[in-house]
Amino acid sequence: MNSIPLALYIHIPWCVRKCPYCDFNSHESRHIPESDYISALLADLEHDQALAQGRAIQTVFIGGGTPSLFSADSYRHLLQAIHRIVPISGQAEITLEANPGTFEYRKFKGFQDAGINRLSVGVQSFSEHQLQALGRIHNRHEAIQAIATARELGFERLNIDLMHGLPGQTVEAALADLQQAMDLQPSHLSWYQLTIEPNTLFYSKPPTLPDEDDLGDIEDAGKSLLQEAGLQQYETSAYARPGFQCQHNLNYWRFGDYLGIGAGAHGKITDPETGTVLRYQKTRLPQDYLNPDKAFCAKEWSVPAADLPFEFFMNSLRLQEAIPKSLFEERTFLTPDMVNQTIAKACHQGLMTATQHSWQTTALGQRFLNSLLTLFQ
Amino acid sequence: MTDISHIRNFSIIAHIDHGKSTLADRFIQECGGLTEREMAAQVLDSMDIERERGITIKAQSVTLYYQSENGEKYQLNFIDTPGHVDFSYEVSRSLSACEGALLVVDAGQGVEAQSVANCYTAIDQGLEVMPVLNKIDLPQAEPERVCQEIEDIIGIEATDASQVSAKTGVGVLALLERLVHTIPPPQGDREGKLQCLIIDSWFDNYLGVVSLIRVMDGRIRKGEKIRVKSTGRDHVVDAVGVFTPKRLETDVLEAGEVGFLVAGIKDIHGAPVGDTLTHTKTPDVPSLAGFKRVKPQVYAGLFPVSSDDYEHFRDALGKLSLNDASLHYEPETSDALGFGFRCGFLGMLHMEIIQERLEREYDLDLITTAPTVVYELLLKSGETVQVDNPSALPDPSKVEEFREPIADVNILVPQEYLGNVITLCVEKRGVQKNMQFMGNQVALHYEIPLSEVVLDFFDKLKSTSRGYASLDYTFMRFDASSLVRVDVMINGEKVDALAIICHRDQADYRGRALTERMKELIPRQMFDVAIQAAIGSKIIARQTVKALRKNVLAKCYGGDVSRKRKLLEKQKEGKKRMKQVGRVEIPQDAFLAVLKVDK
Repeated sequence: MNSIPLALYIHIPWCVRKCPYCDFNSHESRHIPESDYISALLADLEHDQALAQGRAIQTVFIGGGTPSLFSADSYRHLLQAIHRIVPISGQAEITLEANPGTFEYRKFKGFQDAGINRLSVGVQSFSEHQLQALGRIHNRHEAIQAIATARELGFERLNIDLMHGLPGQTVEAALADLQQAMDLQPSHLSWYQLTIEPNTLFYSKPPTLPDEDDLGDIEDAGKSLLQEAGLQQYETSAYARPGFQCQHNLNYWRFGDYLGIGAGAHGKITDPETGTVLRYQKTRLPQDYLNPDKAFCAKEWSVPAADLPFEFFMNSLRLQEAIPKSLFEERTFLTPDMVNQTIAKACHQGLMTATQHSWQTTALGQRFLNSLLTLFQ
Repeated sequence: MTDISHIRNFSIIAHIDHGKSTLADRFIQECGGLTEREMAAQVLDSMDIERERGITIKAQSVTLYYQSENGEKYQLNFIDTPGHVDFSYEVSRSLSACEGALLVVDAGQGVEAQSVANCYTAIDQGLEVMPVLNKIDLPQAEPERVCQEIEDIIGIEATDASQVSAKTGVGVLALLERLVHTIPPPQGDREGKLQCLIIDSWFDNYLGVVSLIRVMDGRIRKGEKIRVKSTGRDHVVDAVGVFTPKRLETDVLEAGEVGFLVAGIKDIHGAPVGDTLTHTKTPDVPSLAGFKRVKPQVYAGLFPVSSDDYEHFRDALGKLSLNDASLHYEPETSDALGFGFRCGFLGMLHMEIIQERLEREYDLDLITTAPTVVYELLLKSGETVQVDNPSALPDPSKVEEFREPIADVNILVPQEYLGNVITLCVEKRGVQKNMQFMGNQVALHYEIPLSEVVLDFFDKLKSTSRGYASLDYTFMRFDASSLVRVDVMINGEKVDALAIICHRDQADYRGRALTERMKELIPRQMFDVAIQAAIGSKIIARQTVKALRKNVLAKCYGGDVSRKRKLLEKQKEGKKRMKQVGRVEIPQDAFLAVLKVDK
């Protein structure tokens, strides 16, 4: 029996409008074939059932796109049906990504009744001006209302997605955004820097972003603000009140297994006998995914054993917690001694620390994670 | 067999861009040396780099047959010459196999300094020089003015110089006709004892050493035993023949002819350029005068970025030097860069080409240190030593006198740019020896420290004269000079590979400019990087590269690792050309920053 925990990611590939910074698999569409897509998701999972290897699902994350475009009924049906194919653990964290528009937050109650127990609200900014620049379809007021609604409904596990390093953003403006978020008292915050990715509108027409020093200042000031507000950083861009870390993301970072269903979803499954890591990606375009003549899976590959340490650390070093060496052994089937040299180098540079049983990224290592990771390449 | 009276051996003397290669191609085409289909543009420049940069590096030859108007058939042996100032020594080598030379001058641009120098070499060697005006199809062509210039500056009759356009083909046939009547046939006794001159040797992966030879007397046949005079070694002739330009074996080469020889020689030093060949049975045939050995003008350290590549690098240099007798190298160890080689080059272009070939053909990532000339030092012990590496400079207290090499520099420049060029020469510590007005052009004669000439003088000269000034220089002598070594320290540690030697008066300025330039080139790192320039223990300049604030991928979509991997691999790729010195990563450009410190 495989002892590596299993998660489930579900991708909903549609948005009302594509944001200019977004390079995720999302598509604008007027007519979303909601029920067909739910059926396809279930067929997809059925097809992958064996990959669960008898394990129950520990966390579910419904991401997008804009999953809150779908109805609560669809999710109720989806989650019930999933449970019949691969059981979902009774304690499972079940997250839904939601857009903070009026249209969506009216559905929050329904989502809750459908079994969703964690909401991740894509606010991005509370500045009207920035929201427009980012191509978001909601406004500041709606964002505040959405969070308030979720709280009133008793969503204890509540995340706000917030960006910084926005076009023309000053340290003060970034802090004002953060303070507004803190005033709404979410149990979790994803606070990440805007980066310009290929295949986005921003990439072809780049906005003027704050310079490196301003970005550094924003980050430093932001971190102390968050600390004072009682949120602890536990990963590069993730902050939470004690006990409210996102279990689903923790599973990625601790190199756990996950099933992925939906257009463009990725999965990772470890062979319990050999330790071989299988990765796969589902077909990206919604129309292909919905086409019964086409396979759900677009490609799958085994990660060469030589690449496993790098992949393991690429994820786990993002975390601030100590990484038990036993975790490396359990998740990669490799012996921790094989990375001793690299780790020694990283420790020498002040990027990591090592004890007899664990490794940990230092504050310097957190800031220069890319430099740290290249040591493992 | 072509009777010796029907052979014409010639070279083309031309400045870069004056159309030598195009004219050569036109000759090949007119004489049917290649079919249309085989006629890739400029076939004589066979190396990729030559083709890309539009210059000729190695001398090559081609044998063509021309049917004259009088019905006679002539064998034309065209020996190519390089056109860049770095490679001028190869010119005299090519000329020694010829009885004539075409002086090709751009009818719009006029005479250039290097052509003047090469033309004098040809005249000194007793060659018949035929002036040819090229590019007469261009609107800016001024044949009359240029003819006058040839007469004024070079002093040869040019009133009825041939006028051609190699590009369109106009006048090319008439030029060939005139060539066979003007250039004399070679002299030589075909029945005499064999005497051949090795014009060039290169290494071919399949054939071993291939030599380009000129038969002076006698004949050389496949299967015969021959002797290389200087080594005293005997070899059996595997093949002789000509390039048409395809390689064509002919089984025999006779006095007056130019062609190739393959004789199972494994090492290029077994067939030295300028050496004499004869038959084993006639060992007493006298040696020919040969050529002056060419000395490198610039030295630089080359180091592999990854020390694992050292062996591979050494092999690559070995192979490259088989084809390039002017490339000198010997092992060098640097505290900062590890194991590498100190290499001697003919000039900056030569250095760039070698580095490019090593990287392209041998897939090496290299760091080149700042190039330097050779200095001479008189030590207090009375000993005279030469130093080609700043880090090898002895303690100043042991030195009686520093001497720097001085170059004899000839420049031709149109009058309107004279002021700019003189300013440049003064900036470069030049001493004017002579200035002559010749028609529209001015001939300047200067003595300038070689260190100022070899680095970027040529580029500066070109840019200050909108490309019209031309340059020829040779090493002359060592002069006493006030020289100092400027050390560069990175985070307090002296980096030997960054040291430079310069004139004391320039040291402060250079140190400042160097650190400023390096500040721009060294990327921000996890910590502050201090760059200091010092003479002895005295700091003369300091700059700081501020630490990066952070270097991390903000958000990762947990499931998709490929995207993260790609980003990190890109970062890693960027580090390939960086060398870690202590904890600091220094990019390749920074080691050459000294080349870019001048105004």
